[in-house]
Amino acid sequence: MTTKGQRIMKSWQRRLFVLFGLLGLLTVFGTTAYAQVPAPPPPGQFPYTGNRTAVWIVGQLHILFAAFILGAPIFVVISEWLGYRKQDPRYDRLAREVTKVTVILYSMTALTGGLFIFVLLATYPQFTTWLINHFFMIFAVIYPLLFIAETIVLYVYFYTWDALKGEKKGRHIALGVLLNLIGTITLFVIDGPTSFMNTPAKAEGVSLVEYMQTATLWDKVNNFSWMPLNLHRLVGNVTFGGFITGLIAAYMYMGARSDEERAYYDWMGFVGNLIGVGASLFLPFMGYVLSYEQCDYDASMCPYMMADHLSMFFEMQGVMVGLIFLASNYYIWLSMKRIEGVEQVRMSFLTLLVLVALPVVMTYVWTIFPVPDPASLAVLIPMLLAPAILNRVIPPLRRLTVSSRTVIKVGFLMIVIGNAIWMTPHAFVATQALATEELELPSDWGFLALMPAKNSAAFTLVFVTVINYILYNRAIKRGTIKWGQIDFASQFALIFLAFSAIWTMGLMGAVRSLLKKYFHVYNLVPDFTAESFTPTLAYSAWWVTGITLVFYIIVSFGIVVTLWPAKDKEQVAAVKTAPAGAE
Amino acid sequence: MSDRLRFLKSIGVKLLGGGVVGIILVGVAKGLSFPPVFQAMFFIYGMLGAAVYILLDAPALRPLSGLPALMALVAFYVIISGVYITGASLLPQYDPEDEKGKIDKLLKAKRAATEQGKAEELLARTKALSEKAEAIMQRLQALGGSAIAVAPPGADSAKPSGMPSTASADLVALGKEQWELQECYNCHKLFGQGGKKRGPEMDNIGNMMSPEQMREKILDPMSWMTEGFEKEFRKKKMPDKYKELMDEKEIMAVVAYLSTLKDPSVNTPKSVKPN
Repeated sequence: MTTKGQRIMKSWQRRLFVLFGLLGLLTVFGTTAYAQVPAPPPPGQFPYTGNRTAVWIVGQLHILFAAFILGAPIFVVISEWLGYRKQDPRYDRLAREVTKVTVILYSMTALTGGLFIFVLLATYPQFTTWLINHFFMIFAVIYPLLFIAETIVLYVYFYTWDALKGEKKGRHIALGVLLNLIGTITLFVIDGPTSFMNTPAKAEGVSLVEYMQTATLWDKVNNFSWMPLNLHRLVGNVTFGGFITGLIAAYMYMGARSDEERAYYDWMGFVGNLIGVGASLFLPFMGYVLSYEQCDYDASMCPYMMADHLSMFFEMQGVMVGLIFLASNYYIWLSMKRIEGVEQVRMSFLTLLVLVALPVVMTYVWTIFPVPDPASLAVLIPMLLAPAILNRVIPPLRRLTVSSRTVIKVGFLMIVIGNAIWMTPHAFVATQALATEELELPSDWGFLALMPAKNSAAFTLVFVTVINYILYNRAIKRGTIKWGQIDFASQFALIFLAFSAIWTMGLMGAVRSLLKKYFHVYNLVPDFTAESFTPTLAYSAWWVTGITLVFYIIVSFGIVVTLWPAKDKEQVAAVKTAPAGAE
Repeated sequence: MSDRLRFLKSIGVKLLGGGVVGIILVGVAKGLSFPPVFQAMFFIYGMLGAAVYILLDAPALRPLSGLPALMALVAFYVIISGVYITGASLLPQYDPEDEKGKIDKLLKAKRAATEQGKAEELLARTKALSEKAEAIMQRLQALGGSAIAVAPPGADSAKPSGMPSTASADLVALGKEQWELQECYNCHKLFGQGGKKRGPEMDNIGNMMSPEQMREKILDPMSWMTEGFEKEFRKKKMPDKYKELMDEKEIMAVVAYLSTLKDPSVNTPKSVKPN
């Protein structure tokens, strides 16, 4: 026990030492970078990639690690609480294993964060200094303090897992809540400068340059896109954390040597996917709010995104969203296959009708009553509730049912149709300037490229997924789940989901940044370098894939190093893997 | 074995079904005047549907472990990476060189205002002057001293007779360039090309607004409201950033260009002062 304690302390000290060492290095070199020198050398040039892409790579890697370490603790603490409340040790084990990986990736977040600052200072010294000066209190005081506080709380949370159990579990959960609180504040704080670069604070009748001279720090932070970005990233981080949990489970399932291990990691994969998919259902709408605010800030951003330089980036986003929804529902399909008695589960035929009619009706209603007109809800809510209401009012209708298998299969058809609507652009061109009649939608069908159609497509994808989860829920209540006997293809579905979610994050991160056009800060600080143009989608796809693979390699390494040795040591048998009523 | 045969048979049936659905979609799309690129997209979706149903009915995958699992994983990553890069590369791409030229023009004035810009301009002028001096010296050496008398005095300052019209044409050309640079086409249709429904078509704007009114509208988008675009006006769809992004000469150039647009066959709506 003493030896183990010493080992833990050593490890604890070592990790803290690395983190504080990094912060120290950052301070020393940062001070040197700011020191007044008579003639600063010209900015360095990264070979092959160029400066802009180098910043992109390091920045994106940092964001990916940060997204995981901020997103994972949200459901980790919920999982720990569920384990405590239900007295189900699987939840506690899941929380602990994900926290182990989080601790490893925390060091990577600090490392890439430090590297990001160095690269920015070396390649864009004038702009970086300008930004730091405008957000001095954030960069010099608030953010470092929050980061240090989060570091301490994370390590205390992890290393007191055994000490604070039983009756003291509540205290440990409270620590987790505190960790999330600090993490969320950190995210909101750093989103200030980030969102400011896209939508710098402005005031009616005053030029941006003039306004910057009088604007307070809060004015700059509380810009048009700050809160939408906060919400989008918060939900995105939970989604991301869920899918990475699915990835951890898939790796461990593939390496499992006993039925108990397989059963546990099968369950863990299911939970990870549930969290990832559950949170991702909100993402299209969070993304919509973010772009709505950006367009409200400057209406020319909208066509730039949807019809001009970035239109094909959004086309690719459509591909990714479609694939993610197909894969997550495919996982549900495979999960249901291993439930005995699933054939008894049926659903109202009216629900199926609503499902099929949804994209058409929604497009029509939202065209007449555009979002956020509440009049549309007067039509859509009764339509969505119609099956339940009609079944109650007219009991014979209850006998009109279809099998869960049919509902899910029709659901897949609707995902394909919904995605086809999402993917229909106003023109298949890289910029609006190249639009010709041969590449444009016929004018009578132009509505397919407008927001009402896109919103209804997004809602269809969400609705199908919700219906599938309702069916799944009914199936596990009536049938018997055979944990550990899921089709092996499901593990590839989990891996695919994690990879695609990361890829989409990279793509949309590039879009958010490219939206600034040839400015560092939109309409305020121009980027005079030769790299301020919009890169092509193909070029971006290469780098997004490269960044995703590097992240994947590091995360995979982290999972193997952290959990593989523990797998052999810890007695999995100690954990009761099967829920009540399951085999 | 029979399961495998059954699955192979079902693949054939589903691919055939997907193909038939795809062909029907293409036919319908053609009938509704969708361009070929959209017809192709609908066909692809028909086949995607078939692929999804093949996957749903596929037999369970045999569990893998150890080296085969690792190899399967690596192959899987290689395939999805390749598919994503290829997919993104197959979508229409533009030439960044076009944008580079645009950015140079857009940032010329701002760059010139910076210390670095001033230094660069001085260097460029010095270089141009030294090149000019060298060229004159070479001419003098080649032709002898008489060349000085033969050469027209102040050749650079000689002006063609049609100066006013040339200047006006230059201004219109500059305005046309600004139309492209500021991407006005994203919201305003002109000569049948450009954005739809966000702003009025501009082909007949020269007959609908005076140059002074147009200038006022560009500088302050809330100063004039176009009939039929009341909702866009209320939502402040036209950005009020041009007074910061463009200098006076560029704004006058756009106005000059727009003033030449007088095609009565296009219904450019009337603009009125808002209440």
